[in-house]
Amino acid sequence: MKRIILFITISSIYAQMSFTGNTETRIGESSSGYYYNETLINTNLQYGAFTNWIQLEYSDPPELGRSINGVRKLRLEYDNGPIQLKLGDLYEIWGRGLVLNSVDDQSIDRDTAIRGLTLIYNIDSFSSQFIAGKADISQSTINALGFNNRKHNYQVSHNLYGLNIQKLFGNHNLGFSFLQGLEKHPVNTFPSDTIDIKNQLHSLNYSYMNSLFDYYVEYIMSRSYEFEEETWKSHDNGKGMYGNLNLYFNLFSLNLEYINYRYATIDPISRFNIVDYYGHNQPYQNPPVAVYIHENILMNRISHQTDFNNEVGYKAELIGSFSENIEFLSIFSQSNRTHSWAMDENYMWKKDQKLSSFPSFNPVAMPFKEFYTELTFHTLQNNLFIKLGYADMKDIVDLLQNTVTDTSQSLTYSISSAKTVPLNLSYSFGNGWSIESKIELQWLKKGYRWYEEKNNQIIADSLMSIFLDDDGKRLDQEKNTFISFTVSKSPKWSLTLTSDKTSVKESFLENNSVVNPLEKLLGINQEKNWVNVEFVYHLTSTMRFSLLYGSLKGGLLCANGVCRIIEPFDDGFKVGLSTIF
Amino acid sequence: MKNILYFTISLLIISFLYAGQKRDMMIPDMLIKLIDGEQARLSSLLEDGPILVEFWATWCAPCKKEMIFLEEFHKKYSETGFRVLAISTDSPKSMSKVKSYIRAKKYSFLVGLDPNQEVAKKMNAMLLPTVVLIDSDRKVSWYHQGFVPGDEKEIEAQILKLLDLEHTNESEK
Repeated sequence: MKRIILFITISSIYAQMSFTGNTETRIGESSSGYYYNETLINTNLQYGAFTNWIQLEYSDPPELGRSINGVRKLRLEYDNGPIQLKLGDLYEIWGRGLVLNSVDDQSIDRDTAIRGLTLIYNIDSFSSQFIAGKADISQSTINALGFNNRKHNYQVSHNLYGLNIQKLFGNHNLGFSFLQGLEKHPVNTFPSDTIDIKNQLHSLNYSYMNSLFDYYVEYIMSRSYEFEEETWKSHDNGKGMYGNLNLYFNLFSLNLEYINYRYATIDPISRFNIVDYYGHNQPYQNPPVAVYIHENILMNRISHQTDFNNEVGYKAELIGSFSENIEFLSIFSQSNRTHSWAMDENYMWKKDQKLSSFPSFNPVAMPFKEFYTELTFHTLQNNLFIKLGYADMKDIVDLLQNTVTDTSQSLTYSISSAKTVPLNLSYSFGNGWSIESKIELQWLKKGYRWYEEKNNQIIADSLMSIFLDDDGKRLDQEKNTFISFTVSKSPKWSLTLTSDKTSVKESFLENNSVVNPLEKLLGINQEKNWVNVEFVYHLTSTMRFSLLYGSLKGGLLCANGVCRIIEPFDDGFKVGLSTIF
Repeated sequence: MKNILYFTISLLIISFLYAGQKRDMMIPDMLIKLIDGEQARLSSLLEDGPILVEFWATWCAPCKKEMIFLEEFHKKYSETGFRVLAISTDSPKSMSKVKSYIRAKKYSFLVGLDPNQEVAKKMNAMLLPTVVLIDSDRKVSWYHQGFVPGDEKEIEAQILKLLDLEHTNESEK
């Protein structure tokens, strides 16, 4: 009898339940032994005010990260009018992410989920959110044992709780956030050797909006404490600020962003060492950056890596139209550290001068600057589309030496600078057939600059390039060429041939490609060329199949200011299937 | 390479078998943040008629190409109650430029913000751009993933098909 009642109950609930989901399967194998096989299944169940999200993963191994076979993520939500309750894996953003921005970016294997609960109360002019849970955040670092490009080698657990309150007064919004994290911080290779850290973040934000302009300002204070001798002792203090102003004119919009992050001042060699330097910027904070996120491949590979502990910068973006068919975009961004750095007589780094809150291009503050502009033209009833861009970027990546006396200075730093021209052309024939081509040309300089001055006389000022030709002779620059050509028949299929070519070999990187049969067929017998062909077929409107054969260059992949090295893929197949059900 | 071959063949067989199946997909009545600072329930957005949801980002070139056509459809079929809702999945790192982009392009369709991709996950949008055509009863009428030139014709055909169906249903009522 009990079974019958249970069966009837489950059946009646199921009958009222709505169920959707999606799957994504990817498998790849290259001749150099790079192999992955992963399937992600997302299911969304809805029953009245309840929804349930479950993500299953079956991987052996995944393309990035550790193998999981079973439930990867799970969340139960109750949403009834002003009250929302969520239990499970939470991805929440407060304001612009200065205090909390938990993300799951599988393209770079960055997952900062909080496993816990959150309660949201939201009425017209007031909202509040309480959150509590645990975030196990893993990262790749060369400062811990077992560094690997595909698997993280360092994990920190954070027990978090916090509150976010927002109040609207007409067009004005005022907000306050507090978040505390208790962290067991592993300090060396032995997992049992940890330090107890308490991190507290307080922030205030204010925004205003009208039809001509809007702005957003947030100020944050961070405090960290270390547990020593049975008591919490102050470890470090920091602060940060973010501002955004948008101005709307008839023909164009101007977007200005300013960042000023001063959570820690760590010397140039150690600034990305997350093992020995703790209690500063937290991985569950993911604040805005003063870097433009490019659509093109080659600029993304040399993207500036933001120092979230110590960076001051701005970004100005002008976007608009000359006419109905011609649009323009221009961006200028610049950033540097808050202090200049110099070495003492024992060659130890020390903070030199506190710099202005507005960035300049002083090499001893590891600056970055970029100008990008593009014109977009579409005509013939939007069948012809042309986009031409130009980017000029300069980044002082590392400061290696700066010894200063009253009469002399010796300075060495590594620099990366590039000029890039991306061009995108597409034409639609109007009967479903279309062609598209992307061409990107880049002239890249990378090397070490040595500057020496004595008694106001320049003794040395030279740049040693890291690029070598086949005979080992140094070359000034590397020329990178990315070309893709696509033929498609809408809405069913598309075929893309891609060539990614570099002119020289970087002196300390093994980046030569294996010549694959496709390259031989096309008469390309170069080791510095990566060619592939990809076929995408829409089996139905909810099912997409893709097959790639050939080689992919790999390199730096950046998503939202966070970068990761992706291994090259030589002479192999990649298969993917995504479905929605 | 054998693994790849076996996998591909089984995947295609399963896919072809599965492709024949059809069932109703209901979207939860979730809260959507709009670019003007307001919040709206999906059900309230569907009060006047069906909507086409596009998931996009400011760094996604095909999404922006698709938006030119979506603006056309939004204007062309607005009298029927049909609307386009473009939901930006930009994270806080690029969120500030969403409004300036929309204003500069003078787009008149609705724009939503989904920086932590919660709405996208509930609507099963895994790729950018993804288009979801939703009828007045919150049921998915059609999905489309990716955009290549020419897809706009299929999008318009599906909008017309849904509007026809809704009109017939209304007449029957």
